[in-house]
Amino acid sequence: MASQTAQPGLWSRVQRASVERLHIRLESLLVLVALSAVMAVLSPYFLSLSNFLNILLATSTIGVLAIAATFVIGSGGLDLSLGSVMGLSGVAGAFVAVNLGWPWPLAVLACIIAGGIAGHINGQLVTRAFVPAFIVTLGMLGLARGLALVISQGRAIYGLPAEIVYLGQGRPFGVPMPVIIFVLTAIVAHCLLAYTRFGRHTLALGDSEGAARAAGIRVEHHRRIIYTLSGVLAGLAGLLFTARVNAGDPTAGINYELTAITAAIIGGTNLFGGRASILGTMIGALIMGVLQNGLTLLAVQSYYQQMAIGAVLILAVFIDQYQVRKEARV
Amino acid sequence: MTAFVLRINRFTLAFGVAMAVCAATSAKAEDAEYGVLMKTLANPFWGAMSQGVEAGAKGAGVKIFEQAAESDQAAEPQLNLCNTMLERKPAAMITAAINSTNLLPCLKVAQEAGVKIVDLDNNLDQAVLDKEGIKVTFHIGSDNNAAGAQGAEYLVSKLGKDAKGPVLVIEGLSGNITGEKRAKGFADKLKELAPGLEIVASLPGDWDRGKAASIATDTLTAHPDLVAIFCANDGMALGAVESVYAAGKGPQVTIIGVDGNSDAVKSIKEGRLNASVAQLPYLVGKQAVENVKKALAGEKVEDSIAVPTLVLTKEVIDAGKEPMLEYVK
Amino acid sequence: MTLLTLKGIRKSFGAVDVLHGVDLSIEAGEVIGLVGDNGAGKSTLMKTITGIYRADAGSIQLDGRDILPLDPGQRRRLGIEMIYQDLSLAKQQDVAANIFLGREPVKKWFGLIPGFVDKARMDREAAGMIERLGAHLPSINRSVGSFSGGQQQTVAIARALTFNPKLVIMDEPTAALAVREVQSVLDLIRRLRSEGISVILISHRLNDVLAVTDRIVVLRHGRAEANLTTAKTNMNEVVGRIVGGGDTSAAAAHEQRG
Repeated sequence: MASQTAQPGLWSRVQRASVERLHIRLESLLVLVALSAVMAVLSPYFLSLSNFLNILLATSTIGVLAIAATFVIGSGGLDLSLGSVMGLSGVAGAFVAVNLGWPWPLAVLACIIAGGIAGHINGQLVTRAFVPAFIVTLGMLGLARGLALVISQGRAIYGLPAEIVYLGQGRPFGVPMPVIIFVLTAIVAHCLLAYTRFGRHTLALGDSEGAARAAGIRVEHHRRIIYTLSGVLAGLAGLLFTARVNAGDPTAGINYELTAITAAIIGGTNLFGGRASILGTMIGALIMGVLQNGLTLLAVQSYYQQMAIGAVLILAVFIDQYQVRKEARV
Repeated sequence: MTAFVLRINRFTLAFGVAMAVCAATSAKAEDAEYGVLMKTLANPFWGAMSQGVEAGAKGAGVKIFEQAAESDQAAEPQLNLCNTMLERKPAAMITAAINSTNLLPCLKVAQEAGVKIVDLDNNLDQAVLDKEGIKVTFHIGSDNNAAGAQGAEYLVSKLGKDAKGPVLVIEGLSGNITGEKRAKGFADKLKELAPGLEIVASLPGDWDRGKAASIATDTLTAHPDLVAIFCANDGMALGAVESVYAAGKGPQVTIIGVDGNSDAVKSIKEGRLNASVAQLPYLVGKQAVENVKKALAGEKVEDSIAVPTLVLTKEVIDAGKEPMLEYVK
Repeated sequence: MTLLTLKGIRKSFGAVDVLHGVDLSIEAGEVIGLVGDNGAGKSTLMKTITGIYRADAGSIQLDGRDILPLDPGQRRRLGIEMIYQDLSLAKQQDVAANIFLGREPVKKWFGLIPGFVDKARMDREAAGMIERLGAHLPSINRSVGSFSGGQQQTVAIARALTFNPKLVIMDEPTAALAVREVQSVLDLIRRLRSEGISVILISHRLNDVLAVTDRIVVLRHGRAEANLTTAKTNMNEVVGRIVGGGDTSAAAAHEQRG
């Protein structure tokens, strides 16, 4: 190891550059490329533009949630309510558009605001009531899901306005709208987390709350913003879901929070905070997307797909820990 | 540079091996095939449907590839699966949609690509399909209305045309179309055949065994002379059986369920549950594949295929002569 | 000129009264040693100065301005820095991120979008600061958690000095250091004094305190028990004031050897 530091090889230099400039670990990118290559060899259907867009489309909803998970986990928090808040937001939007018959922009707003309110309540409880984030968001998981069922009376709300359906099913220039929204959100979120003071304070907070406090960062205030942001993103995911399936479904997003957290962790986010990157999370989400897509194309039963994703999660964290320990030793 | 190469090798090797093992077990010749997309496989009903599909494919000599969402609430993952399955360019998509809208974007693309679409188990709504401009080749499944009516026919055959007394109906989840059809089919037929049997209550049991049990107990208190209970599925019927026997009214009350699942068959054999109107998911799956083959060959296929249901009673099961019994899984 | 004046500072946590009305003042360019037994309230007093704790009663003035209502970030901007005993570093972040935490310089991205952190400038200035401290770090771009204890302390010190502080509070800066490193910390304190920067040094190592301070304030049971001019006092007296009367020669002798 010592010789490697003295004269960094090509690999170390590329690796360092990718960590510093793009905030991603090269290992995860390599896994994604290798996985795609394997799929391309095994299935003649894998390597096509339409399938590529398919993978992105299938990743869009969960990807937006994974962005939220990355911010929260990066700040040393946890949001288990993501999937439920997403379901609640979708139902709120559908309720406004269908049951109240209000214009579609208000329905879009309703999704975002419903998510934001739920997230803000999470933040208030975590920072003011001193209830652990795990408990608060676990409670919100139940609250939001229940409220979604109450508003919708347990039934999906069908028949959304064409403009909203376009957000989920439209294809300007052949690219699905959810993919466009997802990619734009990811780019903005990446810049926010990696290159702004807000993002740096978020990671410092997750790293050491004491250090952040000593540095004059308003820790509680910052946490509230992060939980609210998480809710807003869950609201956006709810909008995408609702628009895709043309229904405000109160059961939307069940277990999605776990998938979102998995994507963030595969992408190199430290579960205990302090290290996170949106690009990394996107790679994590795409690894899962490629795996699911490829295995489906190979007609592997869905049960095996879940096993494969579980295995990749453990493998990813293993590789990550190996790298971190190695760096600490140098 | 060597470190670089070595490192890549370690990763690609690990993944290559893992994937190759996965794929070697599953890689198949990939010519025109039928895609089959289920709601879930974590349920005996869909398991039997899947067996039927496989048997049908084997019999007809066609290739299928089958996928299922992880649960019957995973609407969006099912849509993702559907999109991915289209990449294999199947000749037909046999789909059991989780709800009446979630697969529509995928089915639209399928239609444009000339893929034949089959609505397995009647999950799609014709009115919605018309509005979206999607034409399915055929719907196939049990006729839930007829299943309810068969339940009424059995009850009247047991108690006689002139029987009198209060009857309880336990519906499914309120608003669920399947449960509504079964309850309505039962009520209409009962009124027609034996007007003396009066439905004193028709309540939603939410497909829940415990909830059905409490409804049965409450109704027995209000109507101690209750003569029959019809439940929209077997789970609820088994709940009602417990309540009725706990009240010591086993012989007095005739209890009928719908589905024909294995628990119900066991209870019927023990002489507790009186009857279950069995759906034959195995037959539904088998006939779906057979009819797709016909349609692809240019033969005429009905728009809506109703697969018969079968009333299971202790006599029918013990006699074992009913030819359709082999499809009860 | 008086830089900082504390009057009647009180602080309690629930039923526990930690500070019972502390008075303290420090001149510009003065080095004060703050000593006292464990639990005397030294760290609590310092945290009320930096704003991490809010005093229950009393007043704090910096350059004649009341800073009691200000939060830690605002007080830091006025020139109050503290080097914590635990260093309070974000260990997964790199050197520059730690030094500039909460005060990152921003620029416009490609001259268009505002709010982007100027990482190049941070790295440059961080490297400069480390160099001025005469320290050597393996790499400025590595996470500080991979550094040795002394190297981490260098980062913490650099953080405190980068923004032209008026007052630097050091909480046990020499406790975990090797002899050679202790000397460089003491040299640093002298250099700060020569630059007109005030220092409050909290330490159990009375030899160090006697060596570099102008004045020694003894905190006992939450009160400023004594205010001694370093040149006119000695180990015996300081130890006596810390433990509070009685025969202290044995304790003092122990300290002297220490």
